Amino acid sequence: MASHGVLRGLGAGVRSEEARQKELQQIAAYNDLVELVNTKVAERQYTIEVLDLITKLLNENPEYYTIWNHRRRALRYLFAAPDPKDSSPGPSKRHAQDLVESDLRLTFLLLRKFPKCYWIWNHRNWILRIAESFVQTAEARKLWSEELQLIGKMLHADSRNFHAWSYRRFVVAQLERLQAPATSEPPSREARQSLTESEFEYTTKMIKTNLSNFSAWHNRSELIPRLLAEREAGSVARRKMLDDELALICTAINTDPFDQSIWYYHQYLMSTLSLDCPPQDRIVHDLSNHDRQKYYAHEMEYIREILEDEEDCKWVYEALLHCAGCYLEVEGGTQAFTTRDMRYWLDQLKRLDPLRKGRWDDLGRSLKL
Amino acid sequence: MSLVSGPGRGGVAAMPVEMRLFVDKHVRYIQSLDTRKDELEYWLTEHLRLNGLYWGLTALHLLGHPDALARDEVISFVLSCLHDNGGFGAAPGHDPHMLYTVSGVQILATLDAFDELEKRVTGGRNKIGQFIADLQDPETGTFAGDEWGEQDTRFLYGALNALSLMGLLHLVNVDKAVAYIQSCANFDGGYGTSPGAESHSGQIFTCVAALAIAGRLDLVDHDRLGAWLSERQLKNGGLNGRPEKKEDVCYSWWVLSSLANLDRLHWIDGDKLAVFILQCQDPELGGIADRPGDMVDVFHTVFGIAGLSLLKYPGLVEVDPVYCMPRSVIKKCLGK
Ligand SMILES: [Zn+2]
Repeated sequence: MASHGVLRGLGAGVRSEEARQKELQQIAAYNDLVELVNTKVAERQYTIEVLDLITKLLNENPEYYTIWNHRRRALRYLFAAPDPKDSSPGPSKRHAQDLVESDLRLTFLLLRKFPKCYWIWNHRNWILRIAESFVQTAEARKLWSEELQLIGKMLHADSRNFHAWSYRRFVVAQLERLQAPATSEPPSREARQSLTESEFEYTTKMIKTNLSNFSAWHNRSELIPRLLAEREAGSVARRKMLDDELALICTAINTDPFDQSIWYYHQYLMSTLSLDCPPQDRIVHDLSNHDRQKYYAHEMEYIREILEDEEDCKWVYEALLHCAGCYLEVEGGTQAFTTRDMRYWLDQLKRLDPLRKGRWDDLGRSLKL
Repeated sequence: MSLVSGPGRGGVAAMPVEMRLFVDKHVRYIQSLDTRKDELEYWLTEHLRLNGLYWGLTALHLLGHPDALARDEVISFVLSCLHDNGGFGAAPGHDPHMLYTVSGVQILATLDAFDELEKRVTGGRNKIGQFIADLQDPETGTFAGDEWGEQDTRFLYGALNALSLMGLLHLVNVDKAVAYIQSCANFDGGYGTSPGAESHSGQIFTCVAALAIAGRLDLVDHDRLGAWLSERQLKNGGLNGRPEKKEDVCYSWWVLSSLANLDRLHWIDGDKLAVFILQCQDPELGGIADRPGDMVDVFHTVFGIAGLSLLKYPGLVEVDPVYCMPRSVIKKCLGK
C-alpha cells in the first residue's frame, strides 16, 4: 500500500490462471496462520509453541504491529513463568535470557531484510530494555556494546539509514547511563568520560569513507558542543577546534564542490559564529566582531579561489552571498567585496539555478541588490 | 503555477499530453482497492487499512469525486476499528494506535460524520480525545503511539491534528508539545524524529504542521528552513527527503506543504514538479507511484494529487497544507 522502488513491469495486473490459483493458496495459508495466532492469543495461550507461530507470522509480515504486541504480551508472561526444562518453581533467569537471545536473533535477521521497518527497531529496543532488568550492570553493558557493533554493521551497509543513526544515538545514551556511577557524588573526570570522543572519531571515519554522508556530518555537529564541554576546552582549544573543522571542510569543498552535504556542514560552522547562535551551541565563546569579520573574509577568500576552476557551481555563489550578508551584519564597510561583486554572484545563481528563481529574487530584495 | 493562466477554460482535455491528470482512472483505481482480495498484497497490508481508506477518500475528494465510495460503508468500517478505550486500530481486531486514530478522525471529519459517531458510540468524541490525551508524556510534552510507549514527532502531530478537528485541543498541554518540537530543531532550520536527530522532510512536515495548529509558526526560521526545503528539488523536478537522496512523489507533499505553510511555495519550480508527479501516473490502470515506471499505490496517489492541488492544478479541489484534507472541511471544523 506504500511501495518504494518496485518496478511496474509490463502487463501489470494480468496473471495466468495458474498464478492466480497459487496466490489464492498462499492467501489461504497466510490467513489461517493469522487466525490461529489471534485465537491462541485471545485465549491467552502464551506458550513456546504460540511464540513460534508468532515468529513464523512476523517472518511473513514484519509490518503487522498487532502481532509484535502479541509477542510482547506472550514474552511478558513467559519471563515470569518457570523454565519448562527445569523442575524448580518460579521464574528462571536462564530461561528469560534464552528468550531474549532468540528475539535479538529474530529482529537482527528481519532488520537485514527490512532495515526501514519501524516495528522491528521498536521491538529490539523493547527486548533490550526488558533484558536489562534481569542482568547485572556489567552484562547489560555488554548487551548494549554488542548493539553498538551491530549498528556499526548496519551503517556500513547503508550509511544514511536514519533509523540506524537515531538508534545509534539511543544506544550510546544507554551505554553512558550504565557507565555513570550509581552514587550521587559528582563523578570524577575519568568517570564522566563519555562516548563523545569515540563517537566523534566515528563520524571522522564515516566522512573519510564518503564525504557525501550528511548523516555523519550532522552527528558531528551535534557532538562538537558536548565534546568541548567535556574536554573543558578553553578559548585556545575552542579556536583550534573551529579552525580544524574549517580546514577539514575546506579540503572537502575542494574535493567536491558540487556536494550539498559538505556545504551544509560549512553552513553549520558559519552559524556558530553568528551573534544569534545560542551560547550552548557556540564553538568559540569569546569572538569579537573583528574576529567574526576575519573569519568571514577568510572563508570568502578561499571560496572565491574555487571559482577559478568551477565557475558553474552554484553552491559557491550561494556561500559567498551568505558570508557577505554575515560580514555586513557585523561591519558596515565592504572591504572584502563590493556591491557589484554581490550583484554578480546573485546573477550567477539565477543563471545556474533557475528552479529556485523565486528564492534568488527574494534574496536579492533582502540584500537590497 | 502558470497552468492557472495557461490553457484557460479548456480544462484538462486541452492540456499537452504530458500535463494530463487521468482523473477517471485514478477514481476507478481507488474504487478497485477493496476488491483485490485475491491478491496476497491485500492481506499483507491489512495493518494499513484505515490509513489507506483516509488516503483513498482524501484523493477522491480532491479529485472532485467525493461520492465514489459509499458513505455509510466507510463510516461503518471506520467505527468497526474503534476500541472501547477510544483508540482506532488499522482494521477490526488490530490494536489501537495513534496512527490509525488520526486517520479515523480525519475520515469522520471529511464525511462530516461526528453526529453518527455520537449516535453509535455515546460520548465517542470525548473517548477518542481522552485516548489521545493520555498518550502525552507529561514530562516532555511529546506523544507515544500506544500503550507500549514509543515516541515520535509523527505522533505529536497526529495528536494535535485529530484533537483540533474534534475541538478538543484543551485536553492536552499544547505549550509543552511546542517546547518539545523546538528541542528537535536543527541548525539547518529542519527537525528530526527526536532531539539530536537529522532533519528529514517527513518529520519537518509533522513539526511545522503541528506548530501551525498550535499557532506558533513564529518559532520557525522561515528563510533557513525554506532554503533547505527548496534544495530538495532535483533537476528532473521531483523532490527528495534529505540531501543527496533520490526524488520521490510522497516528498512532493511533505516538502511542498511545508513550503506552503512557510509562505515559500514560489521557492521551487512548481511546473516542473507537476510534470514529474504526472509522469508517475499509471496511464492505463490509474494510481501514482513513487517514481516514473514504478508500481502505484494509494499512498503515493493521494500525496501526488495533494501536491498537484497545492500547485493549483486546474480542476482539483483545494487541499489544506496542514491537515492534508479538503480546505472546505477544515474551514467547517475549525470555523476558519
Ligand atoms: Zn515515497
